[in-house]
Amino acid sequence: MPLLEVTDLVAGYGPIRALDGVSLEVEPGELVAIIGANGAGKTTLLMAISGVVPPRAGGIRFAGRSLAGLPPHEIMRAGIGHAPEGRRIFPRLTVRENLELGGFARDDRGQVARDIDEACGLFPVLGQRMAQLGGTLSGGEQQMLAIARALVGRPQLLLLDEPSLGLAPLVVAKVFEVIKALSARGIGVLLVEQNARAALKLAARGWVLETGRVTLTGSGAELAADRRVRDAYLGEA
Amino acid sequence: MSHLSALTPRDRALAFLRERWDLVALVVLAVAPLCIPALGGALGGQVTTLFIYCILALGLNVMVGYTGLVHLGIAAFFGIGAYCYAILTVPMYPFQMRFALAAAISGLAAAAVGLALGAPTLRLRGDYLAIVTLGFGEVVKVTLRNLEQITGGMKGLNPVPPPGAGVRLGDMDLGLAFAVDPRWFYYLALLVLAGVVVAMRRLENSRLGRAWVAVREDELAAAAMGISATKVKLSAFAMSSAVAGLAGCLYAASLSTTADPNAYDFNRSIMVLCAVILGGLGSIPGTLLGVALLVGFDTVLAPWADAWIQQMNINPTGSSLLSFSGWRLAVFGLALILVMRFRPAGLVPSRRLAAELHEVHG
Repeated sequence: MPLLEVTDLVAGYGPIRALDGVSLEVEPGELVAIIGANGAGKTTLLMAISGVVPPRAGGIRFAGRSLAGLPPHEIMRAGIGHAPEGRRIFPRLTVRENLELGGFARDDRGQVARDIDEACGLFPVLGQRMAQLGGTLSGGEQQMLAIARALVGRPQLLLLDEPSLGLAPLVVAKVFEVIKALSARGIGVLLVEQNARAALKLAARGWVLETGRVTLTGSGAELAADRRVRDAYLGEA
Repeated sequence: MSHLSALTPRDRALAFLRERWDLVALVVLAVAPLCIPALGGALGGQVTTLFIYCILALGLNVMVGYTGLVHLGIAAFFGIGAYCYAILTVPMYPFQMRFALAAAISGLAAAAVGLALGAPTLRLRGDYLAIVTLGFGEVVKVTLRNLEQITGGMKGLNPVPPPGAGVRLGDMDLGLAFAVDPRWFYYLALLVLAGVVVAMRRLENSRLGRAWVAVREDELAAAAMGISATKVKLSAFAMSSAVAGLAGCLYAASLSTTADPNAYDFNRSIMVLCAVILGGLGSIPGTLLGVALLVGFDTVLAPWADAWIQQMNINPTGSSLLSFSGWRLAVFGLALILVMRFRPAGLVPSRRLAAELHEVHG
């Protein structure tokens, strides 16, 4: 049984249909990439899965259970972590407070503290910045904080929206390395990326989104070798 | 250790004040009535009113400071608390409850009204919420005025009995003591204020307090943390209203009347809001200082200066240009402008707001 199963999902804003019948799935511990141009509906797809944008039609099943009608905070509690586009860390809270809020939905405080330590093990720089306010971190550190914060919620599935956006190449490499490690640990990852090359290299499977529809799907390697993908997203003529 | 020894005694005293301002203030305020005889007179009543406004402002701070929801009608909840307490205690109604019970019920009643106002308006933010709370404040005032059979209309409800009426302490009647010596009320209000300060501190560091701040900072991110913005905002509404209602009880009890409904109008809401902003949004010491300055100016300093001007016979024609309170609002406005220009996060900014403004300027 797939961890996440999206079928014929339709979602949008007012008269705009940002998603027009999207289907995809993520297996437990699998790293799946969604690639596509600006406005293809990638962010909306993640927002619909996490309940921020309520779907208009179609189904989302997570671990065998339908998420229809659940508000975002309950979807999070069901095991879906979301590191939204633009990182959305709490700028006026310290790094530690940000991470503690990641464990807000959990009752076992001691375990949360250990998970915070573990998240800092993945991103050691956060451990050195615990008392600093989130807003004073660099872009790369904020992205690490956003991922670490989502991890403290102990998700089975992590939704990552453009984690490489605006980061220096070295930092991107570091972030992607951690993302790969997460999937190796059994956390499913749904990765939305502009940086299609890096994403497909990492991903077991990929879906290509164009104006709200899936146009191509296949393993990461297949997509990376596909003529159309190379023309449109990998910048090769 | 080395840098400690380099401190002069003055620095050390200042550092101690910064750390333990609360204890110092509490001790000073607790000893003051024993040393200053004037607190046994009208001044005692005025300072009691100041304490009550501090409680009201701390309640407002939950919504405006911690949760970031604009509220322009806090006086309505102050009024609901006052009238509810009066109804539960005045002789014309059959309830005639004891102080503590009536105060608890009034606080809960105000919280219930807060929930009723909050539930349908949760999706509103900023200006829109401001307008709704502003309108609600006016509705409550007009309702209190027009429900004459219940609220006594413009006369208000009175006499509200003092706390402890009928309770005998040795051969002293506690209610009589409250009625005769304002210092009893002074200590009661101070005690409640201290309790509210302690409760607010605990709330700040509680799960709920963190959730308030998270929702203020970023609702979407808060939802992604599993925080229900709906519940969190409703709880802020309820907490603000309950504390404001409690302040209202003390107010009615200390004046032994609810006064007329105009005592709970827009001006009062704005004055308390200004005090919170002036002192520092989300900051407990800031809120207290803001009230001490603004409300203290209004209820203690202005009447005193007026009396002095009259005594010195400076203003025999009674021209408002020459009375101190005629200039009250101008002084208010000037103080706010100056503070917003030079200390935009308030006089005692909360750690977070200070950091943000520092970041913007630096």
